[in-house]
Parts: sequence; structure tokens; C-alpha cells
Amino acid sequence: MSKIEINHLSVDYVEKSSKYTALEDLSFKVEAGEFVSVIGSSGCGKSTLLSILEGLRKPSKGNILIDGKQIEGTGTNRGVVFQNYSLFPWMSARKNVAFGIKQVRPKMPKKERLKIADIFLEKVGLEGFTGKYPSQLSGGMQQRVAIARALAMDTEILLMDEPFGAIDAKNRIVLQELLLKLWEGDGKTEKKTVIFVTHDIDEAILLSDRIVMLSGSPGRVFKEIDVPFERPRDRASLVQTGEYTAFRNKLMSLFYRDIASKIGGSEVVL
Amino acid sequence: MTLKKRFLRLTHLFFIILVAIQFLPDRCEKPSEGIYVIVVALAIEALLLLGSIFIKKPLALTLFLDIVGVIFIFLIVWTLASAKFVWIREALFPPPGRVFAQFVEDLPQILINVKSSLLIIVQGYLIAAAIAIPLGLFLGWSARIGTAATYIFKFVSAIPPIVYIPYGIALLPTFRSVSVMVIFLATFWPVLASTMSGVMNVDKKITDSAKVLNVNTFTMMFSVILPAALPQIFIGCNQGLTVSFILLTSAEMIGARDGLGYYVKNYSDFGDYTRTILGIIIIGIVVVAISFLFNKLQKYLLKWKR
Repeated sequence: MSKIEINHLSVDYVEKSSKYTALEDLSFKVEAGEFVSVIGSSGCGKSTLLSILEGLRKPSKGNILIDGKQIEGTGTNRGVVFQNYSLFPWMSARKNVAFGIKQVRPKMPKKERLKIADIFLEKVGLEGFTGKYPSQLSGGMQQRVAIARALAMDTEILLMDEPFGAIDAKNRIVLQELLLKLWEGDGKTEKKTVIFVTHDIDEAILLSDRIVMLSGSPGRVFKEIDVPFERPRDRASLVQTGEYTAFRNKLMSLFYRDIASKIGGSEVVL
Repeated sequence: MTLKKRFLRLTHLFFIILVAIQFLPDRCEKPSEGIYVIVVALAIEALLLLGSIFIKKPLALTLFLDIVGVIFIFLIVWTLASAKFVWIREALFPPPGRVFAQFVEDLPQILINVKSSLLIIVQGYLIAAAIAIPLGLFLGWSARIGTAATYIFKFVSAIPPIVYIPYGIALLPTFRSVSVMVIFLATFWPVLASTMSGVMNVDKKITDSAKVLNVNTFTMMFSVILPAALPQIFIGCNQGLTVSFILLTSAEMIGARDGLGYYVKNYSDFGDYTRTILGIIIIGIVVVAISFLFNKLQKYLLKWKR
């Protein structure tokens, strides 16, 4: 049994009289402890897929099983990192993390929650900023807090919806490496199952075990590819290898062949 | 800030003028009690000097100096117009010294009136807020009821609460309870309306992010929606507070036996304009003091806002 099974998922949006199909007959599986990236161009329904996994939206057809059980709404077995603004602006960084912990472990004493919050904020490099409000932190720092909250909640599954999409290029690399390090861990603890939505091919290659490519309107699985690189990965040495370039080019051409077929022309300027 | 900039200010010159003109001969018939103005001026000047030493931000100090300067100018003009030149008939327009002297004489009575007014405000206001905020949270959250309720409340809140007074007098046993009711109504609708609109305008990202954390309904209401809507709720609370004072003093003028509005109305009926002016000044000071404290509370609770 796979950790997550997505079965024949379809989502229709009905707006006034027109119907729009965001996802159509979409299926794939994710194993326990696997890091899977979902990539696709904007509008291919990847965020819709994630909102169903989060439990914020119901599919029109099909279902999602986690550990063999169909999901109904949100659940404490899934932690979520949104693209932005997912922190509560009236809580300090530490309170935000502690609030997340409280929802999964309501009986834990407050003191302990705050202690765990501090530990995870330190892990994401924010030890000096625990008392700051989100408005006092940069976008990158806010995302660190969001990651710390998701990790501190210690859920089996992490859902990440373009978490670094709004971060500048330099900080994005820092955060990707941080996430990679935290997810790979020290080998003692069990790895979390991650579904990571992105439109950045390099990000997907660096982080994931497997990449699920979606093609757009309506969104369906177009290709599933295993990422062949050994872990632990190091960005600097990885990107210099020929294998990396070849693999990246293969993905790129798949990606754009799909787009080209959608547009209907043979000449697509990249 | 240099020492010169801190202490060599025009405001201090106004202070000297204000004190000096008290020694000019009076033209009014009764004594002008200039000594009371001097005491008040000295007290304000002492505060100002303390401020000049301890206030660190130059802008804040300048503001303080300007406000005090205006007060001094006001007192100078008042003294000249009443005691020294008698531009308006003395009985109608007493000099400031006499008003301050009256304050000292009437202090116990004034305190009773202030207390009576404040208790009514606090009671009506707190009951209204305690009901309106939870109700607004609930109504705003259940979108369908919320939309219907918005239209109904728009109608009800359009009725000026003061028109309830005559009916309230018939309905309720004491005039005090009528006042509480009027304050309640004046506060209830704006707070309810602003709470509802605050809840309906909470960013979907905030509620989504709470939902995926799997919060229960109670936590959602009071730990997420309430703080997120708080900036808007405060708009209604501010409005309710302002209207409350207007209504209370009006109501007290209509039929009360104590309170600040009664104090002003009663003495103006007897032609005692020294006490009338004193009452008006006291009302001003009380309203400013309450608004100041309320603003502090608001700033404290919303300190997370940029």
C-alpha cells in the first residue's frame, strides 16, 4: 500500500454558466518517505491538486487515499507550507510555530510547546528572531517560519505549494538547501513524505526522488520520472556534472514539447 | 536636540505673558481671581519643563510645546476679553480665574458627577461590546445569515439612538437605566456592523492556513477570526465611544438628576455661567482622557500591525 494514492481525480469549476475542467482523471502514487515534485506550467491545476490534498477543496470525481483511508477535509496527518502569507500576523514567529504544535498536540504543556518552537526556529536559522511579528520579517524569513511550523508539527506528510515561488533567486537557493538538509535529516528519524509543487525544474531535480509532470487545461499526469541522483545531494557539485545537464535537458524538452503540442505550432521560442 | 532648541521656545514667552497680564488692573466688577490662573499656568509650565527634559523624540516635544502654547494663548485671550477689557457682559462670560476657583470649590460635586456619567458609559458600552462582538463574529462567519443581517442592521443603525429616549422613559423604571439603554444602542450597532464586516473581510489565506492546521471552531473564532478582524472591530468601538458621549450628555440634559450633562444644564438654567463653562471644560477633559486611554489600548492590542 502506498502512503498516498490519488485515484482518477477530476475537478470542475462551474462559473455562471460555463464549466471549466481544472483536473481530469489524474492519478499517481506516492510512497512513504518519498519526496515527489509536481511540476507544470501555470494554470495546469497543480495548486488545485494540492488544495484537494490539503482538504480545502473537494474533487468532482475520484478520491485520495492516505494509508488506504479516503481523506475527508483537513487532517492532522498533513502539514502545509503555502506560497506566502500563511503566518498569523498577530502572533510572533515563536507563537506561530507553537500554535501549529498546539493543534496536533493539544495536551502538551505550553512551556514545552514554546521550547520545541525555539528548537525548530533555530533549525531554520531564526534563533534571533523568535519574538518578531511577521510584518517585521522579510519574505524569506516568513517562509522559514512557515517551514519551521510545518516541521515542528511533525506530521507524516508535508504538502508544499510553491513555497519558494515569491522569494528572490539568491534566498531561494538558500531555502532549497535548508529544506533538503532538514528533510534528509541525520538518518535516524523517519523521512517525511513530501509533495512539492513548483514550476522550477532545477528546484524539482535538486529536491525530489521523483517528478510528476502535469500538462495543462485540463490538468492530467503527462509523465512520471525518477530522479537518478544519489543522496545526500550537493547543489554545487551536482550541477557541474554532465548527467545533470542531460537530465535537465530531457525534462525541458518534455516540458516544452507538451506546451508546443498544446499551442499547435512547431516553432516555440524558449 | 541642543539645549537651546529644547528650552528656548516661544511657548515659554506665552507663559510669561499669561502670568504678567494677571497683574493688570481688573475692569470687571467682581474679583477676577487671577491667582488661580497663575497657579494653573505654573502647573502646566512645570509639566512642560519636565517634558522638555525627559521627552526624547524631538517631534513629540515640539507637539507638546505647540499644544501647551495654544492653551496659553487661549488663556491670555480669555483673560483679556473677560477680566481686563470686558468685551462680553461679565455675568455671561466670567474670567478664567473665577472658573478655576469654582472648580476648587465644586470639586467633590464634580467628582460625583464624573463618576455617575462614567459608570453609565462603562456599563452601557461594555454590555454592548460583550454582546455585539461575539454575535458579529458568529453572524459574519455564517455568510448567508451575515448578508441578510447586514441589510437589516443598516436600517436599524440608521435610526439615531436619541429618539429612543422618550420611549425608554416610558418603558424603563429609572432615568439611569434609560441612559444605559441609549449608550447600549449607540454602541451596539456600530460594533456589530464593524465586527461583521471585519469577519467577512478576513483574508482567505488566513482562514485557509488555519483550516489546514486543523483548528476547531472555537479556536477558529477566537484565536484566528477575532484577532484578524480586530482592526476593523476597533473602528466600530471608536465610533460607539464618540457617539456614547454625545448621547449621554444629551440624555443627562433632558432628564437626569446627576451627571456632567445635568451639571451644565442645571447651572445654565440658574444663570450660573461660571459653572456652565466649568462643566463644559470638564466634559472636554474627560472625553479626551477616555479617548487617550482607549487609543493606548488599541495601540497595544494592534502592535503587530506595521
